[in-house]
Amino acid sequence: MGDLLREPLTAGNALLFLLAAAGLLLIVLGFVTYAIYFERRVIGWMQLRVGPNRVGPLGLLQTVADIFKLLIKEDTIPRKADRALFVLAPVLAYVPAFAVLAVIPYTSGLYFADLNVGLLYYVALSSMTTLAIVLGGWASNNKYALLGGMRSAAQMISYEVPLVMSVVGVVMLSGSMNLRSIVAAQGDWFWQWHFLPQLIGFAIFVVASVSELNRTPFDLPEAESELVAGYHVEYSGFRFAFFMLTEYVYVYAIAALTTVLFLGGWHPPAPFLDIVPGLIWFVLKFALVVFVLFWLRATFPRLRVDQLMGFGWKVLLPLALLNIFVTAAYMELWIK
Amino acid sequence: MWGTWSGESAAFFAFAALMLGGAGVMLSLKRIVHMVLAMAAVFLGLAGMFVLLEAEFVALVQVLIYAGAVSILMVFGIMMTGRKALEQAPPRRLHEAASGGVALLLFAVLFYAIRSTELPEPGGRPAAADNTLAIGQQLYTAHVIAFELISVLLTVAFIGAIVIARKEA
Repeated sequence: MGDLLREPLTAGNALLFLLAAAGLLLIVLGFVTYAIYFERRVIGWMQLRVGPNRVGPLGLLQTVADIFKLLIKEDTIPRKADRALFVLAPVLAYVPAFAVLAVIPYTSGLYFADLNVGLLYYVALSSMTTLAIVLGGWASNNKYALLGGMRSAAQMISYEVPLVMSVVGVVMLSGSMNLRSIVAAQGDWFWQWHFLPQLIGFAIFVVASVSELNRTPFDLPEAESELVAGYHVEYSGFRFAFFMLTEYVYVYAIAALTTVLFLGGWHPPAPFLDIVPGLIWFVLKFALVVFVLFWLRATFPRLRVDQLMGFGWKVLLPLALLNIFVTAAYMELWIK
Repeated sequence: MWGTWSGESAAFFAFAALMLGGAGVMLSLKRIVHMVLAMAAVFLGLAGMFVLLEAEFVALVQVLIYAGAVSILMVFGIMMTGRKALEQAPPRRLHEAASGGVALLLFAVLFYAIRSTELPEPGGRPAAADNTLAIGQQLYTAHVIAFELISVLLTVAFIGAIVIARKEA
């Protein structure tokens, strides 16, 4: 992709970029479809249930049927809702979710954008989704939706800070915010990947990213036992599907980002395993992160609101700051 | 000037339209939440302008701080206030005419100032390949005192906000 990006933009190149983006969209949609199926099967297995197994062989078509149901459902907009914002919110939530995928490098040659502030791009765009969730909750004109939206805003802002702070150590060690250079800076052996030298940063990143994804144990914005369904109570049909899609595209994005930042991207765990192509290693690590996210959901209870905010500001943030200082001291004393 | 119609100028006009449109729409909207959204559009357009100037770092910080955080905080603050559209105030002709005149005068002054300024030729200093790195080095070497003073100021503001919030709670 690299040489293509540096060529002047012609009609043919633009068409090629459009096709590549459409291809990525199809891959992401396929991922979302089967991630939902996989999640339900894994959680069913962990809770000694069967999970979906009736639609298609092994239940493989269950999500397809669910999505089809959502798409043909009646599209309802509450009469007292703020119509324009209600319609706009799912779009505004989804666009950044797909746009952040542009900076993820899959192998040293397969990437969409080579941005020297790739990490910042990811963080900046994902904050737009928070705005969309708040607006969607407000526009529904429903007190549960409003509460869900408010919780979501408070939570996502609070956990964005430790999330960004936790990757500062990685940026310092690799000396770049370009995601390709960050992968390139990680060594050939698996203990040289950032997750071991940056163990505290990695732990904070995992916790904060689960919270950013609004997944259990941090799924307070849509705590169904307290808030019915949170910010998307009033949404149905394909607008609801867009909010769900946004959440799962962020699962894809965070899993890919974790792989790139901490798990060595496309590097094999040992140099002699080089015969297996980098893309396979990337997909394996990516799948592992996705599985861990599902695992967490199957085994953790939900936090209380007051515990959540206290944990973010009083535990994660000081730890992240400490991690930055320790990394800086280490680099000053040993590497320099 | 008009002969060289490149993708860059097309993007410039698209972002300019986004900013001006957002600003214009913001003035005519009735609900405050809609106004915040229009303002976020202006911030995004400005970020696009920074990208055109090859200042990616500033552009993304613009998106992160203004379009993201500031907009969310404003919505957050506004949400609990009433949803009713503001009452239509009785038109004050003299007031409106006077503000229009002052606005035109301001535009004239700014336009004259911009036209009469000798802009330095670009290229005096080569643009850094990695401008984030360059900004960081400048901040921590040439401008380190200003940087530290601003950090202290922000910390003071931060602690002050907490003190005020605690008193009211």
